[in-house]
Amino acid sequence: MSWLTPHIATQIVDFSSAMLLLTCFAIVAQRRLSACVDLFALQSLFLAMTAALVAFLTGTRHIYIAAGLTVVVKVIVIPRVLKGVIERLNVTRELVMKINVPASLLICGALVMIAFFITQPIIPFGHLLTRDSLAIALAIVLIGFFTMIARQKAVTQLIAFLVMENGLFLGATAATYGMPLIVELGVFFDVLVAALIAGIYTNRLQDAFDSVDTTHLTELKE
Amino acid sequence: MIAVGLLLLAPLTAGGLSLLIKSSRWLHVTNLISIGTFVGAEVVLARAVFSQGSVTAFADIVYIDALSSVILFIIGTVGLACSLYMRSYMDEQVARGVIASQRLSLFFFLFHMFLFAMVLATVANSLGVQWVAIEATTLATTFLIAFWRRRESLEAGWKYLILCSVGISLALFGVVLMYYSSLRVLGDVSSALNITQLQQVAAQLDPHILKLAFVFLFVGYGTKVGLVPMHSWLPDAYSEAPAPVAAMLAGVLETVAVYAILRCRGIADQALSPDFTGGLLALFGLISFALAAFFILLQHNYKRLFAYSSIEHMGLAMVGFGVGGPLGTFGGLFHLINHAFAKSLAFFAAGNIHRRFKTVEIDQVRGLIAVLPWSALALLISGLALMALPPFALFTSEMQIITALGSSGLPGEWTQPGTRIPVVILLFCSVVAFAGFLYRITSMVWGPAPKDIVHGEQWSTGHLPIILLGAVLLGFCVALPATLRQLFEMASTLLLSR
Repeated sequence: MSWLTPHIATQIVDFSSAMLLLTCFAIVAQRRLSACVDLFALQSLFLAMTAALVAFLTGTRHIYIAAGLTVVVKVIVIPRVLKGVIERLNVTRELVMKINVPASLLICGALVMIAFFITQPIIPFGHLLTRDSLAIALAIVLIGFFTMIARQKAVTQLIAFLVMENGLFLGATAATYGMPLIVELGVFFDVLVAALIAGIYTNRLQDAFDSVDTTHLTELKE
Repeated sequence: MIAVGLLLLAPLTAGGLSLLIKSSRWLHVTNLISIGTFVGAEVVLARAVFSQGSVTAFADIVYIDALSSVILFIIGTVGLACSLYMRSYMDEQVARGVIASQRLSLFFFLFHMFLFAMVLATVANSLGVQWVAIEATTLATTFLIAFWRRRESLEAGWKYLILCSVGISLALFGVVLMYYSSLRVLGDVSSALNITQLQQVAAQLDPHILKLAFVFLFVGYGTKVGLVPMHSWLPDAYSEAPAPVAAMLAGVLETVAVYAILRCRGIADQALSPDFTGGLLALFGLISFALAAFFILLQHNYKRLFAYSSIEHMGLAMVGFGVGGPLGTFGGLFHLINHAFAKSLAFFAAGNIHRRFKTVEIDQVRGLIAVLPWSALALLISGLALMALPPFALFTSEMQIITALGSSGLPGEWTQPGTRIPVVILLFCSVVAFAGFLYRITSMVWGPAPKDIVHGEQWSTGHLPIILLGAVLLGFCVALPATLRQLFEMASTLLLSR
């Protein structure tokens, strides 16, 4: 493939990582819970695409497995579970927010800058192909972290956690062309189980508190 | 090799069997057989470590040295004590109708998975596998914490799940960065996260990346340890979890998380100046210690009191490891062990008190010595040990840590060299914690007992672990057995060699 110069390859990978970051912002701006789940599925699809691209461009076979698992677990299984959870709930929207959408978006923008700033000293050592992806990965992790704090519904917090996990996975794929296979499989297993457990929890919270608003969880304090 | 296999298979098989077995008696039998096998395998491995220094097995997936042996020793002892305690505790809960008898299978399944994950985290050679195992401990314990399914326990469980999963995700970023730096030196994809490989090339790793990696790993695993300010899940979880689970969380899980930090530090230190990692450990340790000491003063719930005391002691151990030197390191390690035993004993006593008085309020528990003489004794022994009163071994280790801090101060980079302020803070806060603890414990043990409470304590299997741990704690006052001392010294030498 003569047209596929290293420069173009880098551009393609950068583009699809940037799409991941973009969906992150969309999740922050979205109030409807089911739309958040769809956006998460979309983000995971971009993640699988990025992973497959890296696998194709570098010839690292085992990333294909990870990409396939991403599609199965994060694009199909987890969104379905979450949709099932949301259907059982009496809320479909995030009504009260601790931090409103415009302010959240501004903060997320700042987080992206911080991520690039932190990773600056180590980026020059990276592989040429995926240089900026590490910074983008950290940015996604930080945004997920922030969303977790800023949103109150148990479902949104769970999505934020999964977004963080996506960021981490992008980081692993970008910086090191994937982790050892045994570790990657373990991580997938953990994420899947965590999502299932959190889903069960949300149902129990709904039964016990009549709400999945985590601000109601205030019975334990000093 | 067989011993390593048994070590991992015992909890795994017992967990699988627990799901199939319906009768509570056989569940306990399976549990005891599995933990017995586990302790046996552990003794064999400790002997192997003594003669060879370290054991690797299953194509380098498992790596056990003196440090992991010490942690396995803690898991084994506390695990055994918990298993014995559960015999009477869980059966009583079923008899009283708190839980349906079918749910006992689930409890044992989760308990074994918890044990398995902790063992895997301790013996894993790869930092990646270690991460997977530590996240698995979160997943296994979250339902154990919320096992009573009351509103409060659901709240505690959710908080635990979310905070620890987020914390652990940050640690995964640290692992990725560690892999990133090692890959460029080692170039071998499958083994570049193995501790055995990393230790050899650690000095050539890139310091910038390692610094970032260690900060992420420290914050991530620090959440599991319960260091301030990532501690807010801890008092809730400990006070809502069933007593044997709380004993495991406080005694073992924290220790395993500290172990994970120490492993990563051993690698980071070879490329960075030890002052960076040590300073981070000591600073967070000192903050945790100081804050927890004041929270101890405020508590009116005895389970939360023990929870804050856990934060305090973990903080102190962190100061010990952070300051380093032979004294600090040995002190820190010895502190971890003593704390594990004392704290599980305290939670056993708390479980007994809760069952009789039906309250967790300190004010409503009076005259324990007349109502529950054995549990009162257990509470006194563990309480006095946790206050670090001489002659208990926690006093020895606390003195070692304070002496180490006094002689070398907080490691550079963070404070002015030679300043005496940290020692003053440490001493002052330990006095505060001492006073708070003594006041609460004595008020529970003595005084007139409420009239409507049944007096007297019937003998049960649940008293065996109380006597076992009490005897160990009292025994450590007098002398440390030579083999154990040798093991601890080997482990602290490992931590020091860089």
